[in-house]
Amino acid sequence: MADLTTDDVLKLATLARLQLSDDEVAEYQRELGAILKYVEHLDDVDVSGLEPTSQVTGLTNVSRADEIIDYGYEPLDLLKNVPAVEKNLIKVKRMIG
Amino acid sequence: MTMISPEVRKQYTVTIGIECHTQFKTKTKLFSGANNDAREAAPNTLVNHIDFGLPGGLPVLNQEAVRLAVKAAFALGTTPQKFSKFDRKHYFYPDLPMGYQITQFDEPIILGGEVTIRVDGEEKVVHITRAHMEADAGKSTHPAGKDYSLVDLNRAGTPLLEIVSEPDMHSAAEAKAYAKELWLRMSYADVSYANLYYGNMRFDVNVSVSKTDELGTRTETKNLNSFRSVEKAVDYEVIRQIEQLEAGKPIVQETRGWDDAKQRTFSQRTKEDAHDYRYFPDPDLPPVTLTDEYIAEIKAAMPELPDDYRKKLQACGIDANTVEDILAVPATTKLVARVLEKSGPEHARRVAFWLLQPVSDEGEAEAAEVQASDEQFIALSELVAANKLSSTAAKEVLTELLKTGKDPEAIAAEKNLLQVSDEGEIAKIVSEVLAENAKAAEDVKNGQMKAIGFLVGQVMKRSGGKANPALAQELIKKQLSI
Repeated sequence: MADLTTDDVLKLATLARLQLSDDEVAEYQRELGAILKYVEHLDDVDVSGLEPTSQVTGLTNVSRADEIIDYGYEPLDLLKNVPAVEKNLIKVKRMIG
Repeated sequence: MTMISPEVRKQYTVTIGIECHTQFKTKTKLFSGANNDAREAAPNTLVNHIDFGLPGGLPVLNQEAVRLAVKAAFALGTTPQKFSKFDRKHYFYPDLPMGYQITQFDEPIILGGEVTIRVDGEEKVVHITRAHMEADAGKSTHPAGKDYSLVDLNRAGTPLLEIVSEPDMHSAAEAKAYAKELWLRMSYADVSYANLYYGNMRFDVNVSVSKTDELGTRTETKNLNSFRSVEKAVDYEVIRQIEQLEAGKPIVQETRGWDDAKQRTFSQRTKEDAHDYRYFPDPDLPPVTLTDEYIAEIKAAMPELPDDYRKKLQACGIDANTVEDILAVPATTKLVARVLEKSGPEHARRVAFWLLQPVSDEGEAEAAEVQASDEQFIALSELVAANKLSSTAAKEVLTELLKTGKDPEAIAAEKNLLQVSDEGEIAKIVSEVLAENAKAAEDVKNGQMKAIGFLVGQVMKRSGGKANPALAQELIKKQLSI
């Protein structure tokens, strides 16, 4: 695989909503490139004749009945993890004009 | 805006495809055990660590959502796929705490299907490309004049069926008819509350125009929540796109929103610059497989669908347009069908017209509050059929019946509305009327039959509207020996 380009890194940054400095772009270009390089070892495995799969357990239909579950905590306590809250709503940077 | 002449308008072919998000009426969410009824709930109270996307939360599929998807497949004129799976669709947006939406990408639970729509008395088939299960996102609001938005995650994880149509529609009227037909089918299949006000069904319309056989560039107007807004948004986009092209400007492929107050679409910032969703199979969720037995069991228990009721209502001698108005209120339709079953088409037809509601374009017709039983409606209809109650008086009894659920004959008696068909009693009134209106009686006797109407009217008046008019006329003739 060709090396990761600056444009690849910038596109990933946009998709991840990250603003990167020039130094960081160079750093991630090197680091992510190295990670991809490492994952490329998988190309050495002969998979011809194998069906692609995304599941290895062989399980199907793992499901639950349609009943309300009490998870043992107050839902509003989850807001304690949220940086900014207004009237129990999660406050975020404005999305649309 | 410049005006587009009808001649120019006619040169363009309009092509429309619609995606519809239908919320399933499950008790809990698609992948968590949180209460799914967010209608009156305070913000962020119907959530848990799974809906919040906290690390370690394991989504587990709600069986009921699968069952409803299978029902939806039958309602869309197809059978469900025996194998389907879930995938992650990645994008970052504040209403999506996990950073991805769990949806079905390449192996959805429904492939194919068709829906017949009716426009101006013509039937037309719209093909369904696919329909897949997915989790809804949270709900955001944007307070005026502030630099922030607010997110409520109560809706995050609500089970949706996204129904994707082929681009088979070619006018705003067809788009509206399709939206309405989907609404009917999801309502009657009983898979969704299908309440448009609460956003239980939301429509995205893809519109393009072209002067040639090749499709034009399309725009997608999202989150329309009424049949009327579907129609208006298509109308607006068609004109806007033709104006652009006529002015030599290209159409930008984009997502647009609908401003209901201004009745126009507007360009929205797109969620993803490069629709790079990086789909991959969700490793947390094993695939869904359905057995033939399971599918057959659900098929056998399918409720009747709009087409079944159309046949029944038309068999009662109700015209096609009125049938559609009745269908808009499922509770009324089902009641009429039961009356048909129990007592035949004459009573069913009468009850149908009694309960007919004006249907608004904003959504479904408001169902009348019905306190009465099928038998009481039939009893009321029988009173009319037996000439014991005039049709005007029946409406008065109906109003009371709907409110109180009391016995119709008792209501009629209480309100003194029962027609008198007792010959002796009416004969007495007739002779009094003839005596007091000798001139008119003489006229009738001399062959001026117009005057008989006046005499019948006098009898009706004296009886307090209770005399059976046909019997009154008969007795007048008898006493005048004509």
